[in-house]
Amino acid sequence: MKPFSHGNATSIEEALEALSGMSWPLAGGTDLLALMKEEVAAPERLVNLKTILGLDAIAERQSGNENEWHIGALTTLSALSQTPAFADHLGLRCLVQAAQESASPQLRHMATLGGNLVQRPRCWYFRNRHVPCWRKGGRRCFAFKGENKYHTILGGGPCYAVHPSDPAVALLALNASLLIAGAQGRRVVSLEDFYVMPRPDRQREDGYHPVTILEPNEILTAIVVPEPQANSRSVYVKRTERGAWDFALVSAAASLRLEDDVVKEARIALGGVAAIPWRANAVEEVLIGQPLSPELIEHAAGAAVAEAKPLEHNAYKVDLIKGALRQALQI
Amino acid sequence: MPTIRKTQVEFEGRIEEREVIVEEEHIESWGHDVEMRWVGKPTPRVDGIARVTGKAVYTHDIQLPGMLIGRFLRSPFPHARITRIDSSAAEALPGVSLVWHKGKQPAVRSLDGRAIFVDEVNYEGAEVAFVAARDERVAEDALALIEVDYEPLPFASDFHTATAADAPSVVLGEDNWIDREGDLYERGSVEAGLTDADVVVELEFTTPVAAHCCLETHGSAVAWEGDLVTVWHSTQSIFGTRSSVAEALEIPMDRVRVISDYIGGGFGSKWGAEAFTLMAALAARETGRPVKVVLNREEEHLVAGYRPGTYQRVRLGAKQDGTLTLIEQEADVTTGAFGGGGHVVGGPAKDLYLCPNVRTRVRAARANTDGARAFRAPGYVEGTVALEGAMDALAHKLRMDPLALRLANYAEKSPSRGQSYSYKGLRRAYEMGAERFGWSDRTASAQSDEGPWRRGVGMASQIWGGGGGPPANAIVKLLPDGTAEVAVGVQDIGTGTKTVLTQVAAEELGLPLSAVRCVVGDTLPAPFGPGSGGSVTLASSTPAVRSACREALRQLIELAAIMLGLEEAPAGDFTVEEGEIVYGPDPEKRIPFNQVTAKMGNYMIVAKGARGPNPEDRAVNTFGAHYVQVAVNVETGQVRVERLVAAHDIGRVVNPLTAESQVFGGVVMALGYGTTEERVIDPDTGLQLTPNLEEYKVPVMVDIPEIEVVFVDVPDVEANSVGSKGLGEPPIIPAAAAIANAVFDAVGVRVTDLPITPKRLLAALRQAATESKEGTR
Repeated sequence: MKPFSHGNATSIEEALEALSGMSWPLAGGTDLLALMKEEVAAPERLVNLKTILGLDAIAERQSGNENEWHIGALTTLSALSQTPAFADHLGLRCLVQAAQESASPQLRHMATLGGNLVQRPRCWYFRNRHVPCWRKGGRRCFAFKGENKYHTILGGGPCYAVHPSDPAVALLALNASLLIAGAQGRRVVSLEDFYVMPRPDRQREDGYHPVTILEPNEILTAIVVPEPQANSRSVYVKRTERGAWDFALVSAAASLRLEDDVVKEARIALGGVAAIPWRANAVEEVLIGQPLSPELIEHAAGAAVAEAKPLEHNAYKVDLIKGALRQALQI
Repeated sequence: MPTIRKTQVEFEGRIEEREVIVEEEHIESWGHDVEMRWVGKPTPRVDGIARVTGKAVYTHDIQLPGMLIGRFLRSPFPHARITRIDSSAAEALPGVSLVWHKGKQPAVRSLDGRAIFVDEVNYEGAEVAFVAARDERVAEDALALIEVDYEPLPFASDFHTATAADAPSVVLGEDNWIDREGDLYERGSVEAGLTDADVVVELEFTTPVAAHCCLETHGSAVAWEGDLVTVWHSTQSIFGTRSSVAEALEIPMDRVRVISDYIGGGFGSKWGAEAFTLMAALAARETGRPVKVVLNREEEHLVAGYRPGTYQRVRLGAKQDGTLTLIEQEADVTTGAFGGGGHVVGGPAKDLYLCPNVRTRVRAARANTDGARAFRAPGYVEGTVALEGAMDALAHKLRMDPLALRLANYAEKSPSRGQSYSYKGLRRAYEMGAERFGWSDRTASAQSDEGPWRRGVGMASQIWGGGGGPPANAIVKLLPDGTAEVAVGVQDIGTGTKTVLTQVAAEELGLPLSAVRCVVGDTLPAPFGPGSGGSVTLASSTPAVRSACREALRQLIELAAIMLGLEEAPAGDFTVEEGEIVYGPDPEKRIPFNQVTAKMGNYMIVAKGARGPNPEDRAVNTFGAHYVQVAVNVETGQVRVERLVAAHDIGRVVNPLTAESQVFGGVVMALGYGTTEERVIDPDTGLQLTPNLEEYKVPVMVDIPEIEVVFVDVPDVEANSVGSKGLGEPPIIPAAAAIANAVFDAVGVRVTDLPITPKRLLAALRQAATESKEGTR
């Protein structure tokens, strides 16, 4: 690991002043410290955000006529998964399910929701310091023609690593937005717009091609989830190779509002299939306005993978995501 | 008077003829009906509290004043030539004590005949340079300052690429084949086996490369005091380590002390001194300060060995009634650049069943990876996956109960050696396991499908050595207060060795467990003990302890006789009961053990004992059978092992608690081997993609089923004086095969490419669906 300096921030403003291309924010550190130890990332300075008070609160707030939930970015995954207001809420429980199914208990105690959303890919080429892959500023994706059983089936390249977060998939289905603080002020961005497909024109100082629009001198401060309408329900379904402590092979989050068994609203998000948490618009179109029958579910599952282009070793994900989506829609 | 005799010892599937010095009279084995006070009773580990409270000192924990930390710079290429290396910046870094590499060689350049720093590196992780520094951070910084130019060379990562016509050389100037003709075993003939067969099945299997994943990674700490060197080493063989350190450093053996008090995992890959041990010893000698080198997790995956992958083909022939006419097994094994690892893949095929026509051939080729190493039942795990998978397919084809097929081919004598077994309880293990599992009701569980989940059951059997043998020694000291110290030159690699040795000593001496202290894992106080491999530790060392205790008692009884005024009485008239020495003809004449020792003042009874020879003309083996229930999700491809019954015949069970733990550990490792664990090497770069515990997936708690353990527990009185055999390896052997067979039972598709991941299972189901569609067309 390259030597680095470390400082505690006591306010968002103080943190923002300290941030720059090679001065990075540190929250739970479960991803960043591992990247540094693996010599895949080498920031010169870390600005500790955990010393800023109040960034780990969960609160319900009024916004116009709507209620919404503010989840501080430093909320740990274990705190999130133990929030009764979400766990007992049919419309929001997919977020708790996603948090619970992430990582291991030890990691969930440290990992923050904000950090989870901005984590870097887990791709085994990206994480190997000897492999100069495109995501790190190299010329090509080694997975594309290599060992790609964990890689994308939707959306294409030039990087074929999937986005690893579980909560991001649930939050996409819940239509969450993010509060971002920057030197120029604050902005609100929908989660859907927060993630960007791999693009050659966006590159960090260290060569890294980011997965989000977050600038180096910005901080994600809160996640805002609108209170679902009555009769909403949500589910997160995750498929893994082992029973716990495993990133998703694929996952599906469904947020539905039904009236007399007819789908009035639907937001469907898929994980483990694309470089970003994947909004399945085609599935939503199939569902909305229709009675939720087994035939409709089958039709919807088919729509999810209509555009799928599996690589050499990951065709099984096509069956897997259909099954996960089917299960998410059945519950 | 000592005499020299020949005896047969089986080690990991190979039979060795050894000469053994027999020092004393033969000790009758404890019989079936001997009343035991400690042996056979569930006994918590004598060091259990130290282990779970963190007080146990492992090699990683060694901290000595002024100790330096050593680290290696390792090759980032699977094959390359080092054209330039410049360490001047590293040497100038404050806190760096020394740097060694091919241009600045250490005083000793090679270990066990292989040079360490050379021009050509043949695998990712090969040693390029060594640094000893004030602490780990400085050492890491120094490594980053070493400039190396590599000329990458073509490489081969796998058997098929290494043996292709235009394959690049794995090691320049060496043939990629290690064994092209193959290790061949043949009895009868394949042709006869085919002619006699009513039914033939032929299957191909692929088994993965599996990492040992020792929780305590490999490491050594070395300190010199004058010309004496102490080596703390996380090893399965303290005496093996001592020999190679003494030989490499060209110093007398008596100057070397090896300590391995606690070991965090020894599964075959910690078999002696390694490059890091030698570097630590040399650096410590040169700097005059202790030096510790431990591998990090990535290095553990890159350079600490693995179970080699295999490609196998099995052909079985049988009569309509299930009688085997042919077993043919061919295996191609991918070892590392410099070979290594056991390749006795054909072992089970030779000996598990009675069959007149058997042919096994095992070929091995190099690849540009670190060397394969022995891994818990090397070869037998791989071989059993294929053999027992094929037996299951044969049973299916014959519409026979898989258990009945195995019983129809039960071997009463060793098929390959022609010798009778000292004891074989496999038939009883089959019965006990089947009864506990409810094998005869198995169709009921198979019908309990729920939604996408399909249930299935399967079984597989196992043969292994584990009889141990000489040489193994023990020393017992009886102290003035009536307590005893037992020193044995073995090591407790986490199996409970220290506990079972204590039990056996307490039993023989008639002392409470708390009055016996057993020292292992240190070459200084202890006489020779074998390395902990091949499941030999218990069967080799407990008889030596019995023998030493017997000799100590003989001396004690002589003294007691004097104190009781019975100098003339024959020694056979005395017995030891409840801590007292009792004169048989007149039981009123008795004296407590500690009164005798108290009267000795500071005189200590010191007795030594040795392991006697193995029985003549007998095969000594261990056996077992596993029964498994799985649920397979046809939508997600998940395999959930719901229940596993492990029935084992290991002779006498000395400690049911630690024995059960051994089975749990073996089964969990086999579960990973069968369903989740797999080393992946990128074909394009030759780099390992799984050198960590995130991508190399060992099972987690929720994956682990209910494991029920039953033991035949009949003493093997012919095998040795304790009647016990080893259990380290048997439980890992049949479980993966049994799981794969249960998956077939659940979904009707045989996955022969391990591990059975969702990817492989879904692909197999999809292929089967396509084939059946085509079939109906």
